[in-house]
Amino acid sequence: MKALTANHLLDGRVVFWSQGQWVDRLADADLFDDSDPAGPEAEAEARAQTKLVVDAYLIDLIQAEEFWAPVSYRERIRALGPTNHLGHGKQADGGPSIAALQQAHGAARSSGRVNLIKRK
Amino acid sequence: MYRYDTLDREILADRSAEFRDQVRRRLAGEITEDQFKPLRLMNGLYLQLHAYMLRVAIPYGTLNSRQLRKLAEIGRTYDKGYGHFTTRTNLQFHWIKLEDTPDILDALATVDMHAIQTSGNCIRNVTADPYAGATADEIDDPRVWSEAIRQWSSLHPEFSFLPRKFKIAITAAPKDRTAARVHDIGLMARRGREGELGFEVIVGGGMGRTPIVGPTVQEFLPAHRLFSYLEAVLRVYNRHGRRDNIYKARIKILVQALGVDEFARQVDEEWASIGRDGDLPDAEIARIRAAFAPKTFETLPRESLGFNEAKAQDQAFARFVRNNLKPHKRQGYTIVDISLKGIGETPGDASSEQMEVVADLAERFGQDDIRVTHEQNLVLPHVRLDDAHEVFLGLAKVGLATPNINLVSDIIACPGLDYCALANARAIIVAQDIARRFENQDRAEDIGELKIKISGCINACGHHHVGHIGILGVDKKGEEFYQLTLGGSGAEDAAIGKILGPALPIDKVTDAIDRLVNVYLQERQVNERFLDTLRRTGDAPFKEAVYGDAH
Amino acid sequence: MAMLIKAEGGGFHAEMDDFQSVVDDQPIPDGKLILSLKRFETDGEVLLAQGRAVGVRIEPDEAVEDLTPFLPRLAVVALSLPKFRDGRAFSSAHILRTRLGYTGQVRAVGEVLREQAGMMARCGFDAFEPSDGSSPEAWAKVVNRHRHVYQSAADHHVPAFARRLGG
Repeated sequence: MKALTANHLLDGRVVFWSQGQWVDRLADADLFDDSDPAGPEAEAEARAQTKLVVDAYLIDLIQAEEFWAPVSYRERIRALGPTNHLGHGKQADGGPSIAALQQAHGAARSSGRVNLIKRK
Repeated sequence: MYRYDTLDREILADRSAEFRDQVRRRLAGEITEDQFKPLRLMNGLYLQLHAYMLRVAIPYGTLNSRQLRKLAEIGRTYDKGYGHFTTRTNLQFHWIKLEDTPDILDALATVDMHAIQTSGNCIRNVTADPYAGATADEIDDPRVWSEAIRQWSSLHPEFSFLPRKFKIAITAAPKDRTAARVHDIGLMARRGREGELGFEVIVGGGMGRTPIVGPTVQEFLPAHRLFSYLEAVLRVYNRHGRRDNIYKARIKILVQALGVDEFARQVDEEWASIGRDGDLPDAEIARIRAAFAPKTFETLPRESLGFNEAKAQDQAFARFVRNNLKPHKRQGYTIVDISLKGIGETPGDASSEQMEVVADLAERFGQDDIRVTHEQNLVLPHVRLDDAHEVFLGLAKVGLATPNINLVSDIIACPGLDYCALANARAIIVAQDIARRFENQDRAEDIGELKIKISGCINACGHHHVGHIGILGVDKKGEEFYQLTLGGSGAEDAAIGKILGPALPIDKVTDAIDRLVNVYLQERQVNERFLDTLRRTGDAPFKEAVYGDAH
Repeated sequence: MAMLIKAEGGGFHAEMDDFQSVVDDQPIPDGKLILSLKRFETDGEVLLAQGRAVGVRIEPDEAVEDLTPFLPRLAVVALSLPKFRDGRAFSSAHILRTRLGYTGQVRAVGEVLREQAGMMARCGFDAFEPSDGSSPEAWAKVVNRHRHVYQSAADHHVPAFARRLGG
C-alpha cells in the first residue's frame, strides 16, 4: 500500500494527499494499492502543484494494527514528529492512529522513495 | 566585541531586502523550487523533515546579551520557544515558516545578525577559539582575524559558487578548541623569530566521507599577508576543485590528488600573481582590533573568599567549579562553561527562557560577552570569581548548571533523522540514552575527559570522526545501526578515529559504550585520559569487550 | 540572434546579438563569430588576420590564460556556465580583467541567472545572455541592489575597508 506525501510550500509542514486535497494526518490520506495507477497519477498531479507543495512523492506503507504505517523510519518520523520532543509535530495530537504509528513494528526499509538525496 | 558601522548595517539591510524579494517571487510562482532552493540555501534556509529550518550565523561564536535575547524572542515568536546550537557555532530554528523568514531576517538585522552563507557552496561561518580574549595561553586575539575574514568572505563575488562548502577555523592558543586541523583551512597563530605575528596554515582537513587531518601548507604566513594567501587558496580551489562528484568536491580531495607540495606550489604561484593588492590595509586590521580591545578588568586578589566559602558549603557548586570553570588570564576572574547537555536533554538545544537567563547573567556578571563552542555549549568568558556562585545559581534555576564539560555526557550530536532530510539514523536519542547511563556524576568525573560525538550520516555534522568515541548512524537493511570509531581527536593532537567493528543496532550502543569505558577504567595508568589509554593499548582490548561475545 | 544584456555607462540595455556562435564542425560563416577555444586554435589566426570580429568561448575547464597573446585582438571572451553553480567562470573573468588586462567584452553564456548578475558584474562580466528571460531592468535592479561591498574585485566599487579609511 502507498500514500502520497509532500511538504507544504508556505510552512514546510508534512502533508498527505486525500481526494485531491492536502491533509495533515497520514490516517486521513488516500491509500493506493501498489499496482494501482491512481497512485502515480496523483503523484504527477501533485508534482505540478509547485505553488502549493514541495517535492511530492509516494511512500510505502505496512499494516500497523488497524492503521497503516510508513515502512521507513524516516517517513514514520515525518508522520509523527521528532522522537526527542514528543510534544512537537503531529504526534502532539495523540489519538489511536498516532499511537499505532509509534508502536508500529515490521521491517522498516530505510526509504520509501528513491533518490532520497537529490543532487543536481 | 565588534560593533557594526553604517556600512555593515546597510550591507545587511540590502541582503535582507534581496531575500524578501526572492521569497516573494517564489510564493508568486515567478521562480521554481529548483531555482529558489539555492537562493534560500544561500541564506541558511533548508526544508527539513517537518518544517523549514533557518540557520542563523553566529560569527566566530560570539554574541552579546542583546543578540541572544533576540534569538530567544525569535524562538518564541516564530518557532516553538527554543533554538538549537550547532557544531558550526550557529543557531538553528527547526520549525520555521517560509513566509515568516523575511521578517525573521529583519528582526535579526536589528541586532546586527543574519543568516548569510550559513549554507551553500561558499565560505561559511568562521570558527574561532571560544575562550578568545579570556585565556592566558593565546598569542593573539583570533576574533580580530575572524571578523576580518567574515567581512572579506561575505557576498564574495568570486567565491560564492565554489565546488563545495568551505570552512575556516582560527585559533591562537596551543590548545586547539576549534578542530582547526579538520577544517578546509585551519589557521594557527604563531610568533616568528622577531616576535612578528603569523599563521601556520593547514589546508584540506575535513570529515565527511573522506576524513583527513589537514596537512600544513605554510609553516609561517606573515599575518599581514593573510588575505592575499586566502585568495590564492580559494582561487586554486575554485578553478581546480572537482565538480563532477559532490563527495569529491571539497578542497581536501584536491590537496590529496595534487599532493601537498604541488598544491602548495600552485597556491604560491597564484599568490605571487596576486601580490599585495589582495591584502587588507593594516589600518583596517587595526580598526577591527580596536573593537576587541581587552576588557577593563578589575584588579582582584587571586583568591575570592566568597568563592571559596561557597565551594566549601555547596557541593553542587564545587562540582560545577571542578568541571565547568576554566582559568582566566586575569587573576580573580574565571571562564564559565555552560553545558547544553543536560542529562536526557537534546544536545545543543536551549529554550528561549534559558537563552534569556544566560543573556541576563552575561549582562550582569559577564561583561556582556557570550560564546558558542563547536561542542554545542555556551561560555561566559569573563566572570569574577566573586560572582561565580551567583552565576551558578542563576544557571541552575533553568537547568543549565550541568557539571559535565568534557565528560562522558557532554556529547555532540547532530539533529539526525529526527529533523534532518539527509540523515540515515537518529543521533539525539542515542546521546540521551548514553547520558542517562552515565548520569552518576561521581562516576562521570572518575572517567574524566571523554569526548563522544555522534553523527546521523556520513556528512559528519556531529564530528564523529574526531570523537574519542565516535558514533555514526548508518542504514542497514532499513534499520538504524551505529558504527563505532575509536581514537579520534579534534584538538591539537588531531586524529581520525578507527572503525572498531561491525555496526550495532540501536539498543546495543549504550551497552557498548559502557564496556569501552570499563576497559579504560581497568587498563588506565595514572593521569591517563581515555584517549591516552587507548593510544597506549591499541584497540584490541576495546574490541574484545564489545565484540568478544560474538566469537 | 539571441538577446544580449549589455552593461554600458553604468546602466544595462538589451540588444540583438550580432555575434554568431560557431559549432566546431560547422563551416565558418560570414559576420561576427564566437568560436570554441579548440576551433580558435586552428582557425583563429587566419580570421583575425582577415580583420574579422572574433570572440572565443572558454569552457570552465579551459584556462583563460591560454588566450593571452590574442587578447588585444579579441572582441569577445564568452565564459561558459554549463550550470549556474559552476563558479569557475567567475575566476576566469576576474583574471581576464585584473591580471591579463583584457578590455573587450566578457560575456556570460550558458545557465546565466539574474540572481548572479551582481557578482558577475563585480568579477568583470559586461555582457550577459540571460537564460531566465530577465529584462535589462531586472538585471540592473539586482546589480545595483547592494550599496556597499566588502572586497576589492574587478569593478569600480570601493570596498568598505577603503571607504572607512576615507578612500
